[in-house]
Amino acid sequence: MDLEQNLLIELKRGNKEAFTILFRKYYKDLVLFGGSILRDRVKCEDIVQNIFLKLWTERENIEIEKSLKSFLIRSVQNSCLDELRHKQVVRDHELYVEAFNYFDCLDTENYVLYSELQDKLNTALEKIPETYRDAFQMNRFEGLKYKEIAERLQVSERTVEVRISKAISMLRSYLKEYLLIVLAIINS
Amino acid sequence: MQNNKIDILIARLLSNNITVEERKVLDDWLSESQDNKKHLGRMINLWQSSSPSFNPEEINAEHAIHNVHQKIAENERLSPKKSLKILVWWQRIAAVLFIPVMVLMGYLLSRDTDFNPQTAYQEVFSPYGVRSKISLPDGSSVWLNSGSKLKYPIEFKSGSRNVSLTGEAFFEVRSDKKNPFVVHTEQMKVEATGTAFNVEAYETDTIVAVTLVHGKVDVDINGRRKLDMQPSQRICFNNQSNKYKLSTVDTYKWIAWKDGVLAFRDDRLDYVFKKIGLMYNVEISVKDVDIASQLYRATFEGESLDEILNLLKLSAPIRYEHSKRVRSGSGAFSKEKIEVYKR
Repeated sequence: MDLEQNLLIELKRGNKEAFTILFRKYYKDLVLFGGSILRDRVKCEDIVQNIFLKLWTERENIEIEKSLKSFLIRSVQNSCLDELRHKQVVRDHELYVEAFNYFDCLDTENYVLYSELQDKLNTALEKIPETYRDAFQMNRFEGLKYKEIAERLQVSERTVEVRISKAISMLRSYLKEYLLIVLAIINS
Repeated sequence: MQNNKIDILIARLLSNNITVEERKVLDDWLSESQDNKKHLGRMINLWQSSSPSFNPEEINAEHAIHNVHQKIAENERLSPKKSLKILVWWQRIAAVLFIPVMVLMGYLLSRDTDFNPQTAYQEVFSPYGVRSKISLPDGSSVWLNSGSKLKYPIEFKSGSRNVSLTGEAFFEVRSDKKNPFVVHTEQMKVEATGTAFNVEAYETDTIVAVTLVHGKVDVDINGRRKLDMQPSQRICFNNQSNKYKLSTVDTYKWIAWKDGVLAFRDDRLDYVFKKIGLMYNVEISVKDVDIASQLYRATFEGESLDEILNLLKLSAPIRYEHSKRVRSGSGAFSKEKIEVYKR
């Protein structure tokens, strides 16, 4: 039986520590998930806190069909949508939310949360040789130009170019389906 | 190949750079199969998680869990099976209302050089666990924290308004530019005209400090350093290192005690327990070094000591050991002692 199942059983028995552990594990990611529907951080934090409060007070009666993660994501999604309907606000810059009825295609069971994605990216970055990684990070995360990196590392611009393109091709093979994110981060 | 092309279209859709023709291609592709819809859902998921709407650093999970624990405690207090607890709570209020405010009103003659020997003085002492509010003859107000003593003349003579303090007090000084208001402590002289500020000068502490809320004060430490303070500044002097630090602070944290509120903003747990001990007249010592240095954020208002201890226990891995109160030869009970250990 996995750790989370055990924590859930403990939670149902009224163990507050199990509750705290689950809260710490999911809180930040769920608030950020809420942020993709509602732009208001404070509101999102309220929503997630209320969901956990309900999880505690109704712990004996709550039926969790699939995983806890899926249950929590769905709860946040529903509360955020209620809030949207209540306010009759639609995020104009994210028309795809309505256009594709995307909640139907969203797989809550396998949803990749913010910190899970960070972990994946970091793991991939760690696999790359340091010299490639340094050049890549200076360019993509710190926004330095090839020339500036060359000066900092005391190598030619051509070397910097080679290192960055090697880093990208390695990341591409490690991340595969997550490639889009790398693109997103690079473009932002 | 096909998939790569679609992914580029999806990326354009998500970043709002898609043309009408491209959008049509994407729509057709989506209607082809359920799997394609799933693929879009997956891409949207990754897009959302990689570009959060707000800064993840702004989300404070510890603060949040504290909030939730507090709400849980409130709910449980209100539920009917806990009526006994409410009674205890009411008893506590009654006790606070009827606590004899042991204000020692001694008329003393002082030979202090700063004080005129002909003047009659009044001395007010706030016992541990009790706070007092005093109105001075010039209309200024002083909140005296527990374990603190304030001495002031029954009547202020023209020229200056001198008071002396050991412990902690918050001053709201009535404006009078001709007659400056001076707080004397063992090591400091704080001079003000019309302003609000907090002074900490407990004899047992190695640190003395002044926090200025508004107005202007001059601080003189040991007659050697003279400093002008600006609002929202706090000056902190360490007796042992003989160094002082001037910083800009959230003044609320330093004056909240006067309203019976304990406000902690990333403070070490040993400091948290020290302040709680002062307010509730118990001696709390943290026995584990790791735990003592952990930072904590919380605001307590109106909770009982037991409630505060429980809330702290829920959000930090600690346990308490209470020691029995010992009766001394004179028949008085010793202070309650609580020791904090790592769980």
